[in-house]
Amino acid sequence: MYRRKKEHKRGINYSLMLVGDSGTGKTTFANNLLESPIFPHRFAMDAPQLAFNPRVQIAKPTMVVSYNSKNGIPSHMAQFDASREHFEPGITITSTSVEIATGAEQPPSRSSMSSEASSSAQSNSHSQDKISFNLVKTHGLGENLDNTMCFDEITAFLEQQFDQVLAEETRVKRNPRFEDTRVHVTLYFIPPTGHGLREMDVEMIKRLSRYTNVLPIISRADSFTPEELIKFKRQIMDDVERFHVPVYKFEVDPEEDDIETIEENQALAMMQPFAIMCSDEKNENGEYVRLYPWGEMRVDDDSISDLRVLKNVLFGSHFQEFKDTTQNFLYENYRAEKLSSVSEWDMDKEKGESSKRDSAAPSLSNFASLITTGQFKSTNSLAMPPQSETPTTPDSKEISQGVSDSPALRQMSQSIRRGNEEIIQNIKNSPRTSTPGSPDKSKLRNISETVPYVLKHERIIAKQQKLEELEAQSAKELQKRIQDLEKRAAELKLREKLLRQQHLNSSNTSLNSRQSAQQSMAPQSKLKKEESVTDLASIVSGKA
Amino acid sequence: MSSETTLVGVSNLPNQRYKIVSNSGGTFTLMVCGESGLGKTTFINTLFQTTLKHADPQQRRHQPIKRTVEIDVLRAVLEEKNFSLRVNVIDTPGFGDNVNNNKSWQTIVDFIDEQHDSYMRQEQQPHRDVKFDLRVHAVLYFIRPTGHGLKPLDIETMKRISSRANLIPVIAKSDTLTAKELQAFKLRIRQVIEAQEIRIFTPPLDESETPDPAVMEHARQLIESMPFAIIGSETKFDNGQGSVVPARKYPWGLVEVENDAHCDFRKLRSLLLRTNLLDLVLSTEELHYEAYRRLRLEGSGASEDPSLPTRAPARKLSHNPQFKEEENALKKYFTDQVKAEEQRFRQWEQNIVNERIRLNGDLEEVQAKVKTMEEQVRSLQLRKH
Repeated sequence: MYRRKKEHKRGINYSLMLVGDSGTGKTTFANNLLESPIFPHRFAMDAPQLAFNPRVQIAKPTMVVSYNSKNGIPSHMAQFDASREHFEPGITITSTSVEIATGAEQPPSRSSMSSEASSSAQSNSHSQDKISFNLVKTHGLGENLDNTMCFDEITAFLEQQFDQVLAEETRVKRNPRFEDTRVHVTLYFIPPTGHGLREMDVEMIKRLSRYTNVLPIISRADSFTPEELIKFKRQIMDDVERFHVPVYKFEVDPEEDDIETIEENQALAMMQPFAIMCSDEKNENGEYVRLYPWGEMRVDDDSISDLRVLKNVLFGSHFQEFKDTTQNFLYENYRAEKLSSVSEWDMDKEKGESSKRDSAAPSLSNFASLITTGQFKSTNSLAMPPQSETPTTPDSKEISQGVSDSPALRQMSQSIRRGNEEIIQNIKNSPRTSTPGSPDKSKLRNISETVPYVLKHERIIAKQQKLEELEAQSAKELQKRIQDLEKRAAELKLREKLLRQQHLNSSNTSLNSRQSAQQSMAPQSKLKKEESVTDLASIVSGKA
Repeated sequence: MSSETTLVGVSNLPNQRYKIVSNSGGTFTLMVCGESGLGKTTFINTLFQTTLKHADPQQRRHQPIKRTVEIDVLRAVLEEKNFSLRVNVIDTPGFGDNVNNNKSWQTIVDFIDEQHDSYMRQEQQPHRDVKFDLRVHAVLYFIRPTGHGLKPLDIETMKRISSRANLIPVIAKSDTLTAKELQAFKLRIRQVIEAQEIRIFTPPLDESETPDPAVMEHARQLIESMPFAIIGSETKFDNGQGSVVPARKYPWGLVEVENDAHCDFRKLRSLLLRTNLLDLVLSTEELHYEAYRRLRLEGSGASEDPSLPTRAPARKLSHNPQFKEEENALKKYFTDQVKAEEQRFRQWEQNIVNERIRLNGDLEEVQAKVKTMEEQVRSLQLRKH
C-alpha cells in the first residue's frame, strides 16, 4: 500500500508496444485505444484532425527512438511516392507519451472508457490519478524483403530499456526523475490469414517474449465469419503449442486467487488470442464503426470483437500483473544474466587490486537487502532520495572514477571521443581525476559502480557503430540522389537549349511568339529547380 | 434465291472454325500468386464454382515452419454446354511466408520461363506435334488488403512476372476495407504500378477492331476498376431477394460475391473467362512467348534489365539461392570432414612414427645390452681361462 501511494505521487507509468506487419491496423488500434486520433496513418499525414478525447493528453509527441534502414533514413513519415515505393522502408520504432486521466470526476464518455475507469477504481482506491502511458510503435515490419534487420532492431531496443533500468538501479547516486521506459506489454498483431502462424510470427514472438509480455491478437478480424474466426483461433493456439511460442498466458493459482479472478482468467484464457477490429470512423452516436456497403459494424460490439475485453485487460484487470511480471520475472532474469557476465568482466579488470572486503559497508547491505526482498523495494528506492547511500557517496564517487581510469577503458573512451564528440559528453567527467580506488571496498560495491558505467559504455559503442553505419548509408543515398538530380538538371538544360533553339528559329518568323514562349518557359524551369531544392531539404531533415 | 447462288460460301468460315474449336475444346492456364492466407484457393473454387482444390490445413500442420516456395499444378476439365475447357491452375504455396523473402519470386519466374522454354524446344523438334503446353496465360497477383500500398516484395515480384506473362493484380479479401479505404488503396496501387512501369494486362481498347460501343464500354469499365477487389466464398446464402448466391455471412451483413456494389468479382470473371479469355491466350502466344523466344534465340548479354529473361532457365536446381546456400553448407561440411579425417590420419601417422622411433630405441637398447652381456661373457671366459 505504501508503495502504491508512492507510485501514485509520481503517476503510474505504463508502457505498451505494438508490433506487427504493416497494414494490420496498429495505428487504428492505437487511436481506438485512446479514443483520439493521435496517430496519423501512413501516407495520410495531413488528414483532418478530429476531436481529441479530453482525458488524453499528449505529454511527449511522437519521436523516433530507434531506426534502421538501408538508406539510413527513418521512413515511417515519408510521403507517398509511387516511384520510390520499391525501396525497402527498413524499420522505425517510435514512442509517444500520453497522459490519461483515470479519475471519475467526469462521466465516462462511453463503453470502453467506462470499463477502464471502473476497473481502475477497483484496482486502486485513488481516483484522481494520471497514467503516464507510453506507446511504442513499430513501422515497416514485414515490408522489407529481408526482415531479419527488423527483428534485431526491435530486440535491441527492448534490451536497451532493460539496460537503462539496470544502470540506474545499480548507480550510487540515483536520478530521482528517472523514467522507466521498459515495455510492459507487447501486442503482436497476427495478420488475418486463416492459416495459423507464419515463420515470422513465431520468430518475432519468441524474440519479444524475452523482454516483455506478449499478447498475440488477431487484427482485422472482420475478414472472418464467426465460424472461421473460431477455427483460426484454434489453429493459432495449436501452433503456439506446437512451436512452443512463449506468449503471455492467463494462468490461475488456485491457492491464492479468489474465485472471481480464477473464473475471469479462465474465461480470458479461453478467449485468447483476442480478435479485434478497429475503425477511425464514427457514426452519429459517436461510436466507432466500419461502414460497409453491406452493413455497419460497431467495433466495440462484444459479440463480434474482443476490443473491449482487450482494453479491460490492458488497463484494468491485468494492469498490475503485466507490470509485475516484467519487473519480477523478465527483468530479474535479464539482470541476473547481465550482472553475472558484467561482474566476471569486472573481476578480470580488478585483478591485482585489493582483495580486502568490507562486508559492513552500507551500500553492500543496501544491495543485499535489495536482493533478498525483491525488486519492488528497489523501484521504491528509485523514487526516494538516496538516503542510505549518502555516507559513502563522496568517496565512492572517487572510486568510480578510479575504476574507470583503467587503461583499457581509457583507450576505449578515447577512441569514442575521437569518433563522436557529442556522446562522450555524458561520460567526460569520469576519467578526469585519477585517484586510485581506496583499498577497502566490496566487490558488490564495485558492481554497483561499474555496472552503470559498463552498460553505458556498451550502449554508447553500439550506438556509435549504428550511427556510423546509418551515416554511411545516408551518405550513399545522398550521393545517389545528388547524381539523380544532376542527371535531371542536365536533361533540363538540354531541353532548355533545345527550346531556345526553337525560339531562335521561331523568332525569325515572328517576334511575338518568341516572347510568349519565353514567358511560358521561365516558370517551368523555376518550378523544377524548386522541386529539387525541397527534395534535398527533405533528405537533410530526414537525416537529422 | 439469286443472292444464295452468288455466295461462294466463304462467309461460312467462322462457322467451320466454331465447329472445330467446340470439338477440340480449349486450354487455359491460370496462375495464382500471393502470400498465404489471402484466399487464393477459395477464389479458384469460387471462380469455377466447384471445389477444384481443397483447403487442407491438415497437410500444412506437418510442415516445418520455414517454407520454400513450391509450385502446385492442378488440372481439371470444365464442361459447359458441351464445350470443354481444360483448366490448369498453378498455385504457389509458401510465397512470402518467411522472414527473409528475398528472391522468393525466383521459383515463380523460373516456372514461367521453363514453360516457354519447354514449348520452344518442342517446337524445334522435327516432329512437332506439341503435346505439353503449360504456358501461363494469366497470373493473378493477390495483394494483401493493408490499406497502405504495395510492398517492395509485391513490386519486385510483379515487375518480374509482368515481363513474362499477363499480370492481373487483385486486392484479396477486400471485405476488410471500407469503400473509402478501398478507393484510396486502389488509387495508390495504380500510381505505383504506373510509376514502377509494371505492365499489367488490359483488355484491348482498339476502336478499329471492335466497333461495338458496348464492348468498348465494358472494356473501359474493366480497366477503370483495376486492380480488382475480390471476395471469395464457397458457401451460398439466401440474399433476401429469393435467390441463393455465394456470399460471406457476417454478423453485420451479407457480402455477396457477385454483387458489383460489394466487389469486382464479376468484372474479374468477365475478364478471365467470359470476354477476354482469348485475348489472354493470344497475348501470351504473340507477346510473351515471342518475346521470350526472341531473347533466347538472339542470345543473352544484350539487355541489362534484370527483369527480362535473358538467360536460359537452368536445368539444374543450383541457381536457386536457397539451394546454393545449402550446397555451400554441404561443401563446407564435406571439406571440414575431409580435413578432420586428414588430421586424424596425420596424427595416426605421427603416432606410428613415434612408435617406430620408440621401438628402434628399445631395440638399440636391447642390442646394447646384448653387446655388453656378450662382452661380459667374453671377459668372464677370458678370466676363466
